[in-house]
Amino acid sequence: MTTFATIAGVTMRALLGRRRTLLMVLLAGTPVLLGLLVRANDAELDNIGPTIDGFVVRIVLPVVALVFGTAALGSELDDGTAIHILTKPIGRSTIVAAKIAVAGTLTAGLVVPSTVVAGFLLGGFDADNVGVTFAFALANLVGSFLYVAIFLVLSVVTSRGLIIGLAYSLIWEGLLSGLLPGTQIFSVREYIGGIAEALAPGAVADSIIGAGGFLYAAFALLIAVVLGSVRLATYEIRGTD
Amino acid sequence: MTAPDATSAAHDAAGPLLASAASATMPAPATEPAILLERVSRWYGNVVAVNDISFALAPGITGLLGPNGAGKTTLLHMLAGLLRPSSGRIRVAGQSAWRNPDVYRSIGLVPEREAVHSFLTGREFATLAARLQQLPDPAAAAARVIRTVDLEAAADRQIGTYSKGMRQRAKIAAALVHDPAILLLDEPFNGMDPRQRLHMMDLLRSMAAAGRTILFSSHILEEVERLADGVLVIVAGRLAAAGDFREIRRLMTDRPHTFLVRSSDDRRLAAAFMAEPAVFGTELRENRLTVRVAEFAGFTRAVARVARDASVTLYEVAPTDDSLESVFAYLVSRR
Repeated sequence: MTTFATIAGVTMRALLGRRRTLLMVLLAGTPVLLGLLVRANDAELDNIGPTIDGFVVRIVLPVVALVFGTAALGSELDDGTAIHILTKPIGRSTIVAAKIAVAGTLTAGLVVPSTVVAGFLLGGFDADNVGVTFAFALANLVGSFLYVAIFLVLSVVTSRGLIIGLAYSLIWEGLLSGLLPGTQIFSVREYIGGIAEALAPGAVADSIIGAGGFLYAAFALLIAVVLGSVRLATYEIRGTD
Repeated sequence: MTAPDATSAAHDAAGPLLASAASATMPAPATEPAILLERVSRWYGNVVAVNDISFALAPGITGLLGPNGAGKTTLLHMLAGLLRPSSGRIRVAGQSAWRNPDVYRSIGLVPEREAVHSFLTGREFATLAARLQQLPDPAAAAARVIRTVDLEAAADRQIGTYSKGMRQRAKIAAALVHDPAILLLDEPFNGMDPRQRLHMMDLLRSMAAAGRTILFSSHILEEVERLADGVLVIVAGRLAAAGDFREIRRLMTDRPHTFLVRSSDDRRLAAAFMAEPAVFGTELRENRLTVRVAEFAGFTRAVARVARDASVTLYEVAPTDDSLESVFAYLVSRR
């Protein structure tokens, strides 16, 4: 077993073994619940894009990614268990990559199926809706890993990663990107919208990034892994004595 | 023996300590010592945690002794590459410890904090360490160290159910799994019962005999006395004494002491004490007799005889300054 797989395995057990996983399952289930309510009223949306974008992309995905992203490494640094991994002959990039892989997989594992099921419940199975649903599913898959990577880096840089991550999502992405369109270039939400729009035109009609979302996302992910690795390499544990 | 005196004691002793603070300019040994610190300091903002410490360690057991808050953990974390020295140079196993994960092939660290992945069993925790050390047979290595630390009976229980002493042994097992040349232990005997403590001491002695370099911190004098060949005494971030433990222990025992005495006639007893060569001062205040003595053992041998000869009944004789902190304060004041 490689060190990557070993770290991934213990991280997966750490993230799954706590009550927060149940809470995240419930949160990821809310779009499905919304779809069931729509179905229960014999209704169907003509365009599910704004609903998926407004609910899954803007609320469910960042919150789930924030919780898993900050817990994967930041919690271990805070509670001291990380010392048992840091004092081993392993490259710091391996640790960061393994943690992102696991937290991203868990986030995507909850959000992507939720997106698909909710998309079908809200809009039915006509070709246009299936296209939009899968476009958002793929965009959320990319967004899961990117959000997690950013939040994980924040949790290594500061012990207040959860609060700063929340502020990024609410204030930067939620408020500033609406008031100052130029800030969208640093918004994961906009990358996700751009990818969805590129795959299914009309899914997110007001996207100004479009297909460039793939490129921005790939670049941001790379930067996050490098920054996280460098920061972890110089991470200092404060002595108690 | 003061700290500078301890330097010479360190050179004379056959223990693992090669040099201390005052001897940083001494010619280096032919081969690089297992652990080498040269004028190392570490501060957090305006707070100095470790102040200009130098020493070198060869194979053997060295105790890092100091009161709580003295800087022992900071020093061990710098040795383990988990903290960057603010100034000075650290070499561990011939390498820099900071930003060098490869050094962990040679180091085993037992941190003071109890934090361990509580959902793992003891065996899984040791196996995890073996896998991360990339050992060829992690399961066999884990089984070996589980046996070594006497944790077989509880090896397949989750660590979350362990007592403090069992957690401590699980951490030691994980630190030993790759058979490191250098072992750093931060308060390793915390939470262990006397039998486990003896077992662990025997284990560390056998490792030292096999050529390992072991540095362990403690704030308990007796622990260090029973186990260490050499000792580093650290107080308020400074190296107060370094060298052979017996020399430092004698210094600690023979320092001036103060006793509080209660008797049937304190005034007569005070006068009688002043005739004793071991006593250099008495004070009567608020019905309490304070006796300052030059030598601990001499006074304790004489006190009963003096009281009997003066026909005074002793009710209580108590040393007032026997805490480790007062011992350290004395050592620092001698520097």
